[in-house]
Amino acid sequence: MKILKSHLEEKLGRKKSVDKLSNQLTMLGLEVDSIAKLKSDFCIDIDLTPNRGDCFSALGVAREIAAADQTSLKKENYSVKKHGNSKTKVLVEAKEACPKYSYLEISNLSLTNSKGKAKELPQKINSRLEAAGINLINPVVDILNYVMLDTGQPMHAFDKNKISGDIKVRFAKNNEKIKLLDDQKISLSRDCLLISDLNGPIAFAGIMGSKDSSVEMNTSAVVLESAFFAPKFVRGKARKFGIQTDASQRFERGVDFNLQLKALEMASSLIIQYLGGSSTKAKEIISNNYLPKQKKISLSVNFLNERLGTQLPSKKIKQFLQHLDIEILSAQPNLIKILTPSHRFDLEIQEDLVEEVARLIGYDNLPIRKLKTTEQNFSKTDYSKLLDLKKFLTNNNFQEVINYSFVDDDLQNKLELSDGMIKIQNPITENLNSMRTSLFPGLIANLISNAKRGNDYLKIYEEGKVFSKIKSIKESNHLAGIIFDQEKKSWNSSGAFDFYSLKELALNITNFSNVADVSLKKSDLHLLHPKISADIFKAKKKIGSFGRVHPLILKKINFKKPFFYFEFQTNELFNSINTKLIEPSKFPSIQRDLAFIVSEKLDYIELFKEISKHAGNDLIDVKLFDLFKGGDLQKNQKSLAFRLTWQSVKGTLEDSYIDSVIDKIVKNSKSKFGAKLRS
Amino acid sequence: MDLQQLKKQLSKDLNKASNSKDLQDLKIKYLGKKGKISLLSKDLGKLSQSERPQAGKAINLLKTFFEEQSQILSKEIEQQEINAILEKESIDITLPVDSEKLGNLHPITKTVDKICQYFISRGYSIEDGPEIESEYFNFDALNIPKDHPARDMHDTFYVEAETLLRTHTSPVQIRSILKSKVPLKIICPGKVYRSDADQTHTPMFHQIEGLLIDEEVNFGNLKHELTEFLNYFFGKKLKVRFRPSYFPFTEPSAEVDIMDKKGWLEIMGCGMVHPNVLKEAGVDPKKYSGFAFGLGIERMTKLDYQMDDMRLLFENDLRLISQS
Repeated sequence: MKILKSHLEEKLGRKKSVDKLSNQLTMLGLEVDSIAKLKSDFCIDIDLTPNRGDCFSALGVAREIAAADQTSLKKENYSVKKHGNSKTKVLVEAKEACPKYSYLEISNLSLTNSKGKAKELPQKINSRLEAAGINLINPVVDILNYVMLDTGQPMHAFDKNKISGDIKVRFAKNNEKIKLLDDQKISLSRDCLLISDLNGPIAFAGIMGSKDSSVEMNTSAVVLESAFFAPKFVRGKARKFGIQTDASQRFERGVDFNLQLKALEMASSLIIQYLGGSSTKAKEIISNNYLPKQKKISLSVNFLNERLGTQLPSKKIKQFLQHLDIEILSAQPNLIKILTPSHRFDLEIQEDLVEEVARLIGYDNLPIRKLKTTEQNFSKTDYSKLLDLKKFLTNNNFQEVINYSFVDDDLQNKLELSDGMIKIQNPITENLNSMRTSLFPGLIANLISNAKRGNDYLKIYEEGKVFSKIKSIKESNHLAGIIFDQEKKSWNSSGAFDFYSLKELALNITNFSNVADVSLKKSDLHLLHPKISADIFKAKKKIGSFGRVHPLILKKINFKKPFFYFEFQTNELFNSINTKLIEPSKFPSIQRDLAFIVSEKLDYIELFKEISKHAGNDLIDVKLFDLFKGGDLQKNQKSLAFRLTWQSVKGTLEDSYIDSVIDKIVKNSKSKFGAKLRS
Repeated sequence: MDLQQLKKQLSKDLNKASNSKDLQDLKIKYLGKKGKISLLSKDLGKLSQSERPQAGKAINLLKTFFEEQSQILSKEIEQQEINAILEKESIDITLPVDSEKLGNLHPITKTVDKICQYFISRGYSIEDGPEIESEYFNFDALNIPKDHPARDMHDTFYVEAETLLRTHTSPVQIRSILKSKVPLKIICPGKVYRSDADQTHTPMFHQIEGLLIDEEVNFGNLKHELTEFLNYFFGKKLKVRFRPSYFPFTEPSAEVDIMDKKGWLEIMGCGMVHPNVLKEAGVDPKKYSGFAFGLGIERMTKLDYQMDDMRLLFENDLRLISQS
């Protein structure tokens, strides 16, 4: 809310420096967003929190400063002679939404002077409205807006001659139409509160009047409305129709329910002073059952002092509260009973009063106290394990990226990642309209944008949640990465990143995380090349996949060059076994080399398994040190050369034992795969 | 043979020796079983008792001479040979190498960790909660009922009725109390979502929530705990101020500012946990009190890395994020 410094000073009845004022407001919780210097004044922009509707006026802001300064506001007196009663009848049907409706009539006023031009209001009023960002419309509307800015009570004026019959305050019928002041025609629902006459709606209550009943330059008689609309019935309506107004903002947050008559008094006296005419007496229709009540709260002095770390006596607390217009019902050394003022809707429990006292003392003046408690709660989380893993990847030259958790549903559909895809009902843009089911879409977007910039080598990873709903909503923690290597290699480089580099990385990740019982199978992840990919298992549970990205996917994302992808379910990496240190063997190890010639079609793992099966319990390492095709071999053959290492924890192994084991290996490999020993 | 003559020959031989093999051969030639000096020693027996000591001494002198000379020579030769090897192995150390770009954590991760490490060291545990959250945990349980104006401050993304993307990390407060019981000290870093996008807002951003509940916790404790933290984060003693603010789930509520070159800078929100929140989580507000705080990671990252446009953090231009 924007307000002129001079306006506040008028309410306070004294001058204040702008710096002092601004600092004071901020430290009271009315944060000053900015100060603009005007010719001989300052416009102060205050960022109001939603609980402080009472500060949505010069009166409200000044009241806070007066409380902090422990002074009171300057008395103001508006009064004008009233004649007779209003002839307009008002019927309040929606009592719960409009517990108070006050109004009066002014007739024989004129908005124009003898030359037919709009009468001028004092510069003071105009500049205050302008500073507040309230447009000048015509003298009547301007005066009502000024009263609102000054007191916080939104008001409305109907041209009396445009109203036929009685005024009703009622809920709208379904699809009832109203043409608003700004020419917008809207269709209302049954929860919208209306002011209507014989012919239909004349105002969207508390939000905006209708075009047809509005005050114009030729208006000569008005009905002034000053009502209390319950916040609940105004809230959300303006937003729903995109018509936030100064009035709706105030009604939504709550207007002082004892303010209506005072505001009518001020408005009618200003109108008569500047536009002439005469006013009827004000009439009020009150439904006490629905009017908010001032609340009684008991405040324990001990409680307050414990909460703030202070030692304030009851008397001092009482004074602070009184400066805030809080009525003291009784004050004992340890218990103060109070009644909240009608402008404060945010005071309900004693904690609220603690805050009020703290505000007036100043948060900065409250003591700083070291915590007594050392209670600690060591519930196990995966945070540090995850961080270690991320650091492991960065140490392997991966750059971490963070993408939005929402992506384009079209992209997820195209990539066949739409199983259980959760859509956002109100996305910020259409290309961020579905929750990611995989980290893949984000990573490829990063690949594409960086490759476009000429990056031909990139290793990136992301860690985060992916989302799906099959029966219920599920969030899983994933870690995934992309390796793209199209770089022209340096003279001494060991070659481009390939599947085996990726396999090494994937196994290093599981080793690093101490995952037990790891095995690999051909991958069934559709994103990956079916022949150059693997799924990684922990016992029988799949915990990840890696491989070259499927050529079909490359086509779909219109990316010409191959790249690699891996993904892990991180939770599965972390519920692993604790490491137990095992004492190494003291006895010498024995190594033997064996080279087999086998069919080219035979997978390494088959031969490996056969060797391991017959090599006895003391085999500690199998290394494939050579893989050879061509040369003197037949076309469909390959040679696999192993270096086997045995070592026992019980004693030195005999050569004869190793010989017998090798014999078994050779025989079984021959009978199973036709493997021949290479000489 | 005359000893003098032998010495001359020996010196000549040593001069000619140019590698360790030559030297080895000379050792055999002179000191081997049938070496020239060894033979002389054997012949000593043929001499008379009186001649023997003198002759023995002379032979020994010659032997020592040879040994000394060959040792000197051996060192020289060894040095030459090593030099030859080094020369042979020499490479062009000026050739360029591919220095692979080092990987890096995302600046956001670094900021989160900088904050987490502090609170871990103070005995806080790290908690996690769902990002797709119920209206109940995101709003109702935090004392933000259906038509509360504070809901308007959060531009909420919905995925279905009463189910939304959490707008803050505060729902973890309730979830953690329900899970761990009080007293407790937790922090929760995580992603949050609001429908807002400009230079200082992205529709997804990160927060860290902190919560401490115990007996006799007061506002002074909150001031102390957060002031210490901010001094740690910025690595110096800061001017910090607390001013009143409003969050439905804390009472009193405060905003924390630090003094920056340009003036006061808003850093984080905090307050004493609202009794309604404690009650909702089944904690007796008469027995326990606590404080909660929340801070925006992007804001801290921006300050720490002196950057202006928050959106850059999520564009993942490697040229930018690899700098952190």
